[in-house]
Amino acid sequence: MSLLDIENLSLDIGGVPILKGVDLTISAGEVVGLVGESGSGKSMTALSIMRLLPEAARVSGRIGFNGIDLLAASEDQMCALRGDDVGMIFQEPMTALNPLKTIGEQVAEGIRWHTRASRTDALALARKMLDRVGLPVNEFPLSRYPHELSGGQRQRVVIAIACALKPKLLIADEPTTALDVVLQAQILELLRDLVDENRMGLLLISHDLAVVTEMADRITILRGGEVMEAGETAQTLSAQAHPYTRQLAQASMHVPARDHRPRPVAESKDVLLSVRNVSKIYPGRRMSLFGKPTQTRAVDDVSFSLPAGRSVALVGRSGCGKSTLARMILALEEPTSGTIAIQGETVSGRNEASLRHIRRDMQVVFQDPYGSFNPRRSVEWLVAEPLHLLDSRPGRAERRELASQALHEVGLQPSDLGKYPHEFSGGQRQRISIARALITRPKLIVADEPVSALDVSIRAKILDLFADLNQRLGIAYLFITHDLTVARAITDEVMVMDQGRIVETGNTAGVLSHPQTEAARTLVEAAPDMHRAIAKKMQEQG
Amino acid sequence: MTAYLLKRAAAGLLTLVVASAVVFSVLEILPGDAARLMLGFNATEDAVQALRVQMGLDQGFLVRYFHWTGGLLSLDFGRSYTYSVPVIDLVAERAAVSLPLALISLALSTAIALPVGVFAAARRGRPADTLAMAASQFGVAVPNFWFALLLVYVFAVWLRLVPAGGFPGWSAGAWPALKALILPAIALALPQAAILARVTRSALLDVLGEDFIRTARAKGLPQRAVLWRHALRNAMLPVLTILGLQFAFLLAGTVIIENVFYLPGLGRLVFQAINQRDLIVVESVVMLLVATVIVVNLLVDVSYALVDPRLRTRT
Amino acid sequence: MSDEALPRTGFMAQAFANRSFVAGFVITAFIAAVALLSFFWTPYDVTRLIVADRMQPPSAAHLLGTDQFGRDMLSMIMVGARNSIAVALVAVGIGMGVGVPLGCWAAARGGYIDDVLMRFNDIVFAFPALLSAIMITAIFGPGAVNAIIAIGIFNIPVFARVARAGALAIWPREFILAARAAGKGKGLITAQHILPNITNLLLVQGTIQFALGILAEAGLSYVGLGAQPPMPSWGRMLFDAQTRMIVAPYLAIIPGMAIVITVLGLNLIGDGLADTLDPKLRRRR
Repeated sequence: MSLLDIENLSLDIGGVPILKGVDLTISAGEVVGLVGESGSGKSMTALSIMRLLPEAARVSGRIGFNGIDLLAASEDQMCALRGDDVGMIFQEPMTALNPLKTIGEQVAEGIRWHTRASRTDALALARKMLDRVGLPVNEFPLSRYPHELSGGQRQRVVIAIACALKPKLLIADEPTTALDVVLQAQILELLRDLVDENRMGLLLISHDLAVVTEMADRITILRGGEVMEAGETAQTLSAQAHPYTRQLAQASMHVPARDHRPRPVAESKDVLLSVRNVSKIYPGRRMSLFGKPTQTRAVDDVSFSLPAGRSVALVGRSGCGKSTLARMILALEEPTSGTIAIQGETVSGRNEASLRHIRRDMQVVFQDPYGSFNPRRSVEWLVAEPLHLLDSRPGRAERRELASQALHEVGLQPSDLGKYPHEFSGGQRQRISIARALITRPKLIVADEPVSALDVSIRAKILDLFADLNQRLGIAYLFITHDLTVARAITDEVMVMDQGRIVETGNTAGVLSHPQTEAARTLVEAAPDMHRAIAKKMQEQG
Repeated sequence: MTAYLLKRAAAGLLTLVVASAVVFSVLEILPGDAARLMLGFNATEDAVQALRVQMGLDQGFLVRYFHWTGGLLSLDFGRSYTYSVPVIDLVAERAAVSLPLALISLALSTAIALPVGVFAAARRGRPADTLAMAASQFGVAVPNFWFALLLVYVFAVWLRLVPAGGFPGWSAGAWPALKALILPAIALALPQAAILARVTRSALLDVLGEDFIRTARAKGLPQRAVLWRHALRNAMLPVLTILGLQFAFLLAGTVIIENVFYLPGLGRLVFQAINQRDLIVVESVVMLLVATVIVVNLLVDVSYALVDPRLRTRT
Repeated sequence: MSDEALPRTGFMAQAFANRSFVAGFVITAFIAAVALLSFFWTPYDVTRLIVADRMQPPSAAHLLGTDQFGRDMLSMIMVGARNSIAVALVAVGIGMGVGVPLGCWAAARGGYIDDVLMRFNDIVFAFPALLSAIMITAIFGPGAVNAIIAIGIFNIPVFARVARAGALAIWPREFILAARAAGKGKGLITAQHILPNITNLLLVQGTIQFALGILAEAGLSYVGLGAQPPMPSWGRMLFDAQTRMIVAPYLAIIPGMAIVITVLGLNLIGDGLADTLDPKLRRRR
């Protein structure tokens, strides 16, 4: 008999259907992946099991757990189950812990509540649990507060809370989405070990097919609240019987068709961007009143140059200094030392007026397709904003013409000009963002994690668009990313950054297949890879 | 933590210094000569001049400013022109009315507001919550001096339970004195309680929407336990801020209430002193109130640091 | 999603779907209409004193009765509304006009300018507001204009603080970086990106300060420092009623109710706007 047995689960919130007849089973010791794009109802499935849905939600169907129907259980019964037999891990480790309580208290709280153990016993168990998740007590005493830990460490605390009483079922809702690839690999490994040790069932919810492929025994693919396909992971993903499965799998492995032939020598000799010995030092906090303030070297003596028309990836873990470097190149921040030049002209130390003609040649695309537009302005106004950089201000008609041209370039219609950002989906907004960057016909676009916030199928289309623009318009890119699949898909060269320094440079395929430095190797090994994972699974099964 | 508090204390001190300069300058540009006002318009020029010298008004601005601030530091506030007693005695006597009044109102308002706020938040959207919030909406809109008039009408004129006004002095015994403060305290406290209850409720609801509340629920804690163990302490930060502001308001904003009840408190003293151009009294009382506000704010900062570990490690 | 904190178009349309807002809007519109009407018509002339008609309880001839000089209370309440609204509104105008640019400037410049401005704010906050308003009006003479200035001065740091906090939350957003990459300076960015996005925030604070201004004006005129006779004002009417409460309680009850209703209306508008602004709160309703 399976541990968890969801039958025909339907859910609507305020009359809007969210889930339609979802079926799912998990046995003890089994890992089941629940995959889908945003809005597919993955998280709501998890919250239904926990019975922590919003008040307006109406549920029907059956959720059998260990012989109990959870949907019929009383609130008292649910409280007895939650945290004891069923544990849950959430996506956002930075906010998942109470900032005013020590990590020891927070882990011990559930233990005391369920087992009526004494404070000392509960703390002893909490200490053991924190040690198990990789936070040994000599480095991380129980008296630590959440704000003294990093994101990855906080996620370990959340895991310790969820697993403290060895639950029979663990639900992990996008547990690694907020972390970089290296931390992701570590957290996934920890989860796998905990599942094996205690024969827990694990429901792993993710939008990332590669992660699920590596982790899950079986997989359920959800779309618009309905199960599209369910089955054994490797088989399902290699057969791709269902069209949506195929679409999802192909989008995950998508590589835009690009011209990889070496460019003419003359063109690549033409240096567009040159960065020489650039450092950025932030004054840190003073630990005591008279102590020396600590300094943070966000970027440490970085030099490189980028030829015109070339597409280069800057890869590194979160906090390695890549975004700071990007902002300095864009003249949004001043370097502490060193020089940055575009087409031989120094960027740093200029006032806004003398920067204008340089800014015209470099534009930017940001990660967050929601945050990158002023919600109160029309698309026309937003796309035309960089025209501010032109010496002769174009008139109304010309602005409109240029904006509609830019929209056309990225596959949107001139009729979209009068709309507002909230009328567009995430992928469309990212297109608008690219249109805005294109309108001054720049020679360089700096893109800071431009596809990380997008669903896989949309991500593939945006990558195609970037590749296409590079081919047609000869725009050079500096792609900033922690995701190696993006780097592989779209760039000729890759620079690996670690702790403020560029530690390895080379052509993308070379670096990714034969990384030379420790930092690059860690990144490459940590990156989830669907092909590799399917192949491994197939081999195990013979 | 020490660094944080030292920084706050330094900021408070700076505020105090600037405030003293502002108070002194404002009263300095006041139209009318204090000596002339005191002696009346029939006095001879010589007599006025003599008084000016006696009061030190003939000296330069800065000299008088430093003399005054020096006096404040050594608790020598000077002498009142109209009462002909040392200002410090006058202030002490009046503070014996205003301070207890403010403290009683604050205690009353907190005792009403916190339970109501928590209760409403725990039952959000239900009839009890709606009723409490409607009542508090009215409470916020009621001017306290009007409320005071109604209280006087009902409890003093109709029911004759308490005196309608005046203050017998603490020498008449604690009970008669307290009896005289009951109505003013209620009049001050209820509108403040309405504000505080609303703040408490919304702060709690904000916290209850946080991610870590879901983590606590996933541990198996029932809603009620989550409210007491996790939400309440986090919601205390905005509540503390309002409490600090309210104490300052209660201490200084009693001017009008003291007028309604004919209470010889600090507010009434300042009010009379302004009308009589008794500047030294005005200056002293205002500085005293400003200093109190700053000290209360500092206490709020200290309690912040006690509640929130993040402030303890920050400089 | 992250952009929910920012207002979208159709804000006012959303506000009109909020019960608190609609109730407050109806009440406030009624009071404002009464105040406007008083410019053209009142049942009786408020400057005419008819001692023979003094202190009459509400009747058909005098719907709300008459005061100790035989003036019609309804007419006085109507003219008083004009006075209350004018004082509070102009005081909010002063607070916004000075406070918002200061707050935006502090947020845009940061560094020592921000420090100095915020320290200045702390200093104003350290003065007990009502007491200082009394001091100002007493020193410069009682009257509506000085009451406006006194209340207005204490609105400045409130708006400065709200504008600064709102602006600081917007500055790190990516669309600001995009505007900077488009070569726009801090002034232009503040005008085009910051201000439109904090307008609703300021609107909420504006209604709150408006309500507080009405209360403050009533308090000042109660102690004789607001509008001077023969200009009727609600606070003054309460003061006059105080000694006559035993014989004519309606003299105190009517002006008090006028204040309560006006302040209630404004607070309801503020609540409704705040709910509309913060969808997180709205969902909880």
